[in-house]
Amino acid sequence: MSAPLLSVRDLHVSFGGVHVLQGIDLDVGSLEIRGLIGPNGAGKTTLLNAICGMYRPRQGSITFDGTSVVGRKASDIASLGLGRTFQTSQLFKGMTVLENLMTGLHRQTTTDFLSAAFGLRRASEEEVRSEEEARRALHFVGMSEFADRPATALSFGQQRVVEIARTLIGDPKLVLLDEPAVGLSINRLAELDTLLRRIRDQKGVTLILIEHVIRLVMDVCDRVTVLSSGRAIADGAPEVVRSAPAVIEAYLGKELRARNSAS
Amino acid sequence: MPFGRRNVFLALLAFGAIVPAFANGYQLFVCNLVAIYIILAIGLNLLVGYAGQLAFANAAMFGIGAYVIGLLQVHLGWPFWAAFPIGSLVAAAVGTLLALPALRMSGLYLALSTLAFAQATQWVFLHWETVTFGAGGFKTPQLSFAPLPIGKPAGLYYLSLILVVLLYLFARRLVRSRIGRAFVAVRDSEVAAESLGIDLLRYKALAFGLSGFYAGIAGGLYSALLNFVAPEGYDLFQMIIQKSTIVVGGMGSIAGSVVGASLIILILELLREVKGFQEIAFGALLVGFVLFMRGGLIVVVRRYLSGWEEPLRLTPKAEAPGLPRPDPQPSVAEK
Repeated sequence: MSAPLLSVRDLHVSFGGVHVLQGIDLDVGSLEIRGLIGPNGAGKTTLLNAICGMYRPRQGSITFDGTSVVGRKASDIASLGLGRTFQTSQLFKGMTVLENLMTGLHRQTTTDFLSAAFGLRRASEEEVRSEEEARRALHFVGMSEFADRPATALSFGQQRVVEIARTLIGDPKLVLLDEPAVGLSINRLAELDTLLRRIRDQKGVTLILIEHVIRLVMDVCDRVTVLSSGRAIADGAPEVVRSAPAVIEAYLGKELRARNSAS
Repeated sequence: MPFGRRNVFLALLAFGAIVPAFANGYQLFVCNLVAIYIILAIGLNLLVGYAGQLAFANAAMFGIGAYVIGLLQVHLGWPFWAAFPIGSLVAAAVGTLLALPALRMSGLYLALSTLAFAQATQWVFLHWETVTFGAGGFKTPQLSFAPLPIGKPAGLYYLSLILVVLLYLFARRLVRSRIGRAFVAVRDSEVAAESLGIDLLRYKALAFGLSGFYAGIAGGLYSALLNFVAPEGYDLFQMIIQKSTIVVGGMGSIAGSVVGASLIILILELLREVKGFQEIAFGALLVGFVLFMRGGLIVVVRRYLSGWEEPLRLTPKAEAPGLPRPDPQPSVAEK
């Protein structure tokens, strides 16, 4: 593995006196699919939020694609090619599906407010290109027929997929997915599995996903990092991590193990 | 689509163009007032309805426009035609600065801090007497359309009408571009907007600046219409009137701004005989719409007439029948 695409070193994040992340190290290589698991409150989402600039770490460094991103604005970090989706649907409710995707093209497009307001030709040409691109992106995730639906008319699972497409259309290098499988049926889960692989293989995008659906994690991830109480307690191939004692302890607790060994 | 937005508005514009031919002085005055409030409503709707910034400083921007344009004429002897654009730009600049608190605050907190700013503006109008002439206000010079063979009332009316058309088209195009989508993105989800590379400060500043610019232009026209500027014209009640125009017309709708402003000004004029009743009627109207008709009249219009949809993109849509557009999000009204 050459220089990692994302490199987190000794990251500390605190809210008031609560130390949510206590010295996280994380290296994610290009074209990897990395799983991030751990019990509730382990700090997984906090880590994601710190990487994309929503929280400012107390200490530590985050390097993305050779650039230090600590202290940068979230929108600037996004412009470096870092996309993300959210735990709860964050589609723009006042827009149709297609308009949501066109918004995802924000940093690929350049029309300023005067050329838009005066209806200059290059503004309208860019609009046409944006729409075509948005339709292609919808096609990629298999949701073409939903283009003109209001975002609010989609099912929960469909909203997740559109959100992923909205991030992908911005041509990111790395996408952080916060629980993409939440609320998905078994069939949908298999589709998501395929979609994630296609995103990596066809779009050349590196993925980090937080997920509680362990089946998906074991199946799709190249490597898994386990967080517990703000520390990375294990890191490795899925099957290795699954049987690591520290991981079992984090999920099931020490006492149970103690009782088992006593009996 | 015989009753589509385009046809209806063109018919209204044609009617508007011949009003001075038959209207008496008062009727022309009311029509001019409608035009001014349409400009105010469109600007406010860009800020509140599209960008989702619940700000209460629009009446103050309106006042700053009117005062700067009036005072440049009175103190420095500038002609209206020079003071008018400068005053509008000053209002836009002050508006842009209001985006700074908006970066830290949202919802009620933003509402309260912009309200505080508006009250401070009132205080300046009232107490900086050497410049603003205090509570009594001041008269502005009579506007003249000299080389043109047209009187002041009709001239000002046509000027307002032209500006309405220009500023309407300007806003319509803007919201159908990536800029309008960025506004709505900031309104619907700030975190998602940022994650797509949309700079919150930039777009909030743009929305505040634009609403300030619209309000400044309206202020210049208003002071010329009344030939008089006084603090009480730009107080909290003024803000309530402007807020009503977009709540009644429809948040997040440029066409709704036109509908709302026209209706509110007509109601206001009908109630002019009973001044105390205006406040009561407006309060009731606001509460009624927030409770029972979220999204305003434009939602009703869209339900019964085709051609009133306002997509957030320029390209025409090949829409499947029976799929309604999302209503404008009224949640900002009571956040």
